[in-house]
Amino acid sequence: MDSLIQFAQQDLGNPGLAALLSNPSFAFIQLMNSFSQAMNLFIIAAGLSLIFGVLRVINFAHGAFYMFGAYIVYSVAQEWTGNFWLGVAAAGLGLAVMAVVIERGLFQYIYDKEHLMQLLLTFAVVLILSDVAKIIWGTDQYSVSYPASMKGAVDLGVTFYPTYRLFLIVVGPAIAIGLWLFTERTRFGRLTRAATQDREMLSALGVNVPIIYTGVFILGSVLAGIGGGLAAPFNSPTPGMDATIIVDCFVIVIVGGLGSIWGSFIGAIIYGLVFNYGSVIVPNWQDVFPFLILLAVLLVRPWGLFGKPEGGNA
Amino acid sequence: MKRSLLVATAAAAVLTAGAVQADEIRIGVLYPIAGTGAVYGEPAMHGHNMAVDELNAAGGILGKKIVSFARDTKLKPAAASAAAKELITKDGVNVLVGGLSSAVGLAISEVARQEGVVYVATIPKTIKLTTEKRHDHVFRTASHTDFEGDAMGQIVAKLGLKKICDIQLDYAYGHDLAAGIEKGLKRHAPDAEKVLDLRVKLGATDYNAFISQIMGAGCDGVTSGLWGSHFVNFAQQGSPFGLFQQIKYISGGEIASHEIAGKMKGDYPDNVWSNTYELWYHHHDPSHVAFQEALAKRSGTKETAMWPVLAYIGVKFIAAAAEKAGSMDADALAAALKGMTISTPVGQRTIDPETHQADTGQFWGPMVEKEGVDYRVMDPVTFIPAVIEE
Repeated sequence: MDSLIQFAQQDLGNPGLAALLSNPSFAFIQLMNSFSQAMNLFIIAAGLSLIFGVLRVINFAHGAFYMFGAYIVYSVAQEWTGNFWLGVAAAGLGLAVMAVVIERGLFQYIYDKEHLMQLLLTFAVVLILSDVAKIIWGTDQYSVSYPASMKGAVDLGVTFYPTYRLFLIVVGPAIAIGLWLFTERTRFGRLTRAATQDREMLSALGVNVPIIYTGVFILGSVLAGIGGGLAAPFNSPTPGMDATIIVDCFVIVIVGGLGSIWGSFIGAIIYGLVFNYGSVIVPNWQDVFPFLILLAVLLVRPWGLFGKPEGGNA
Repeated sequence: MKRSLLVATAAAAVLTAGAVQADEIRIGVLYPIAGTGAVYGEPAMHGHNMAVDELNAAGGILGKKIVSFARDTKLKPAAASAAAKELITKDGVNVLVGGLSSAVGLAISEVARQEGVVYVATIPKTIKLTTEKRHDHVFRTASHTDFEGDAMGQIVAKLGLKKICDIQLDYAYGHDLAAGIEKGLKRHAPDAEKVLDLRVKLGATDYNAFISQIMGAGCDGVTSGLWGSHFVNFAQQGSPFGLFQQIKYISGGEIASHEIAGKMKGDYPDNVWSNTYELWYHHHDPSHVAFQEALAKRSGTKETAMWPVLAYIGVKFIAAAAEKAGSMDADALAAALKGMTISTPVGQRTIDPETHQADTGQFWGPMVEKEGVDYRVMDPVTFIPAVIEE
């Protein structure tokens, strides 16, 4: 081990790698950082993936939904009530309302249209929402406090780790399991799965498909809102935050396989691990990491790790 | 035949533009007005418009009314460059002012060089703008990365810090500030050792990987230039780790400005020393009181932002130079700007005739809690002048 550390430090001239090898608690913290970042991204990406899986619409406005979630938490938690959890609940609720309006008012008309039309419409929604956000919240960068009970750090034996980040590590898998149970074990879930397979047949069987679509769109959007709300304490609500997140989310859902919950889960963890260890070992390549993962997956398995090849049985 | 007709029409259009121009002064203004950069661009526009309104109320420049043509730079060099070209060819502006982000400043400056139009850079700080990339028509009223780095070296020495971690944004400003700090440390704190160099991409939102590296490196001081929401996110992510209890954080990038402190309130971390061009509560120059009151009225808040004063000073320099030159001709304007001194709400400023750089000093100090207000203030405030003593 010692010779390996020496090799990293002197021969490779890589202090980051040497630090990872020589300091187990540092390596452990990076592991925790990977998971907590991944779980926040998963919550948002899962919503995007869910909407695509059923509605077959690539919703570029998903990032804007995330931004609205963060802004709503700022207003409700920081300005009005002082209660963070109330803010997160309001973010979820607010996004549910927005989702109904946008899906019934706009998206329902484009399900049968070509991808280009869908792309243009969702992109128009991005532009409109970013201006609406600017009208409501202005252009300031806000700061949201951590919930009072999670301000500090917890002693994990090896090292201290921030309570709030640990909370994210727990809440991510909980949401994943919840979503899985929902799609596998409930009637509505079964119908949504059926809708991804064959919407005409489902409709012929007397199922109200538009309601399923609206329901799924609400669920996906609420995930974006809650994801944005949970990110607000460490991700300052600010104009433009929608553009950053949507790129990360696309990488995750494409790597995991569009439409797959567990795909997004694993995709997010891969993203987190590569980002956090990568930034230590090859700091100059941070910009490239997400796209390297994407490239690797597209070359080897273009339908994503958990996806199904297009034109197969789907 | 068709082509010559086109040329003739274009020529006519240019001539008409010229005719309109005769009775007004056109200023091309370049700030990020929408998107991420609007946080800074919008207040900057307040300062710009305030200066233009003041000048117009007093009869304009050379007896002509000033008209501003504002274009969005989107914080992107390519967009800024295209906007600057359009301002010159389409709107027929006499002069360019503004720029936010060092990369954008360099892009606008390049257009100004090609087109032979004067550009007054009000915010970009990369040293290169007034060294290797300097040309006849570019002038800077902002501070620069060597001044900033030198001041940071002085603070490191004053606080007696020995092991320094440096974390910077990975683009022109961050690179040049790192170099400025290196020189500043050598001058003022030669026994301080730099133990860690970190580069974060512009617009990054997750800093945990870097925070744990800093905490593991055993440094007692961190030097940085993470500005705006970069700092807010870095601080929010670092605080739960106890980062700001372990180190002193010395930062450029104006994170001591009230727009950051006033928004972060109780979340603003301990042990931060930083800079700002202006503080609404600190009257360094007597004229600042009236300036701040007028700005407060215009922006609708008692506690005003820092960015307006930079845009304001840029316009005032252009007006003074035009009056001195007696024309808006680019070469005459450039000649007048060299060595020009004006008084501003934050003290007197002189543009060096050789380097085209104004002697823009900044206020530096620790950000502390203060009784009766829920945000941090700089106390004591020290003005560090733009002087580098070798």
